[in-house]
Amino acid sequence: MSTNILEVRNLEKIYPNGTHALKNVSFDVKRGEFLVIIGLSGSGKSTLLRCINRLHETTSGEIKFDGVDVTKLKGRAMRNVRSRIGMIFQQFNLIPRKTVLINVLLGNLANLGIGRSLLGMFSQEDRAKAKKYLQIVNLTGKERNRADNLSGGQQQRVAIARALMQNPSILLADEPVASLDPATSHSVMQYLKKVNEELGVTVICNLHFLSLVRQYATRVIALKGGQLVYEGNPHDIDEAWFKRIYGEEAIEVTIN
Amino acid sequence: MSTEAIPQKKNNDGQLVAFFQAILIDIFLWAYTVLVSYKIVYQKIILANRYSDFTWNQPLYALGLGTIIAMALFMTKFSIGRGTRGMIEHNEARSVLKEPYAVLGLLMIILTFIAGIFISEVSMREFLSEAGLGGAKRIFTALLTPNFAIFEQALFAAIETIYMAFIATAISLPFAFLLGFFAARNLMSNSRFFFTIYNLVRFFLNISRSIEPLVWAIIFSVWVGIGPFAGMLALCLHSVSSLAKLYSEQIENISDGPIEAMMATGAHPIQVIWYGVVPQIVLPYLSYTIYRWDINVRMATVIGLVGGGGIGTMLMQYQGLAKWNEVGLLVLVIASIVWAMDWASSRIRESIK
Repeated sequence: MSTNILEVRNLEKIYPNGTHALKNVSFDVKRGEFLVIIGLSGSGKSTLLRCINRLHETTSGEIKFDGVDVTKLKGRAMRNVRSRIGMIFQQFNLIPRKTVLINVLLGNLANLGIGRSLLGMFSQEDRAKAKKYLQIVNLTGKERNRADNLSGGQQQRVAIARALMQNPSILLADEPVASLDPATSHSVMQYLKKVNEELGVTVICNLHFLSLVRQYATRVIALKGGQLVYEGNPHDIDEAWFKRIYGEEAIEVTIN
Repeated sequence: MSTEAIPQKKNNDGQLVAFFQAILIDIFLWAYTVLVSYKIVYQKIILANRYSDFTWNQPLYALGLGTIIAMALFMTKFSIGRGTRGMIEHNEARSVLKEPYAVLGLLMIILTFIAGIFISEVSMREFLSEAGLGGAKRIFTALLTPNFAIFEQALFAAIETIYMAFIATAISLPFAFLLGFFAARNLMSNSRFFFTIYNLVRFFLNISRSIEPLVWAIIFSVWVGIGPFAGMLALCLHSVSSLAKLYSEQIENISDGPIEAMMATGAHPIQVIWYGVVPQIVLPYLSYTIYRWDINVRMATVIGLVGGGGIGTMLMQYQGLAKWNEVGLLVLVIASIVWAMDWASSRIRESIK
């Protein structure tokens, strides 16, 4: 097993409307890393994450996940790759009107027959696993609540449990705390840290706040206008780099 | 975030299309104005012809003359086509109604109103004539003293109507449910193959929906014989196309988030639809379906008039015999069930919101 779980080479993404979202992006992700991607809105961060698990098609370039180029995979093979990559979103994207437990169980859809999943027949083993992951994110006792009745932070924790249910090698987090208040943001980031350190899941996370980046990231890459402009240690981002990434007018905002 | 947008047409293309649309709008409106002015204002009002002759030359001349006028006025501020396509600079501070093209449009609407009155033969004299008022009095007296002797029979017919509407709704439901997915643009525009299916489904839904249930009832009463079954089939067909349309619009309005989340777990497309789409649409679907049942009960009475069975058929029979007291009772029964269904369906729809 090589040390790199993900190798991105010369990745290009041009949307059908002509937007050139990613320009010749190359980087590696090491096993067990907490990699944070920073950059302005529209710099291509979300696109990059979605190219990794093929929610978006790439235009050209390679993405090697465990040594296999995922960009050309189709059908079952592609879904198999997706099932090994968990993802959480800014808007949590839980299934409304379903219970917390069902939402977590849905993380395992790839390993469930279509018939069984349409009938909602989840095995006892899966249920036990789901409860275990809910315990990890401290939501024991909320299993029977409707997911859309929880607070934002709780919903994001359900989403983390759902992603864990996939037993992922990588967890993609697309602005996981952008719709949360500062205190809740830290709590959610701490759960991501826990997943990263205790379960050994590689985390790739888009973030806006540099204070969070310095606290949680083991490594940082920065995108600007679809290009990779910085790669390195989060503590090495000084004033000058900050202005290069975010523009001359930018002033750093901290959350504590 | 809908990033996979449909490719935008180049700006030049868009302008050219708008230009031709504007010309066509102008030509059509002027041809219409010329034709209506000639047929109604000249022939009916000035010449007072009771029956005007019609030849295909008239619309052709109108089209020619309309094109000339449209071309002459196209570059002026009187061009409605350019106005509606946003090609005339409009001062925000001024009301749109003060623009010359808007005034012209208003004049055309007034012309249409005058033409409409003459075509519908609106006549106050006949409305208020002595013989007419006498007839109205006779029928209203009979209607207001309903004959309760046929109440039992009417009630059974009404129940038949309600069940017929219910079965029509229930049978149409699974078909509409499936077709709804195929008629939803956001699910079908991913590949050329699916987009073709989408267009075909939309085409057939539009056609079957644009044919009134009344017409379908006539067709089916010949096919399967006069009776509730024919009426049920007619309602069913119309319900499938209407519900599928409403369902598909609901699918087009859902948020992409849960779909993305389900795709990210590696789920099969069928699973993505079942868990990413369906939970977002169940309640609106339920609401539409109940509303459809309500509509079907109303339509079932109308369809009965052409032999679709139920209370409508009864109404037609007594009306044919000019038994106005019995008709009065039937009207009473129909009004009550329509009112009751309307009330019940609005209450149910409110409580599941």
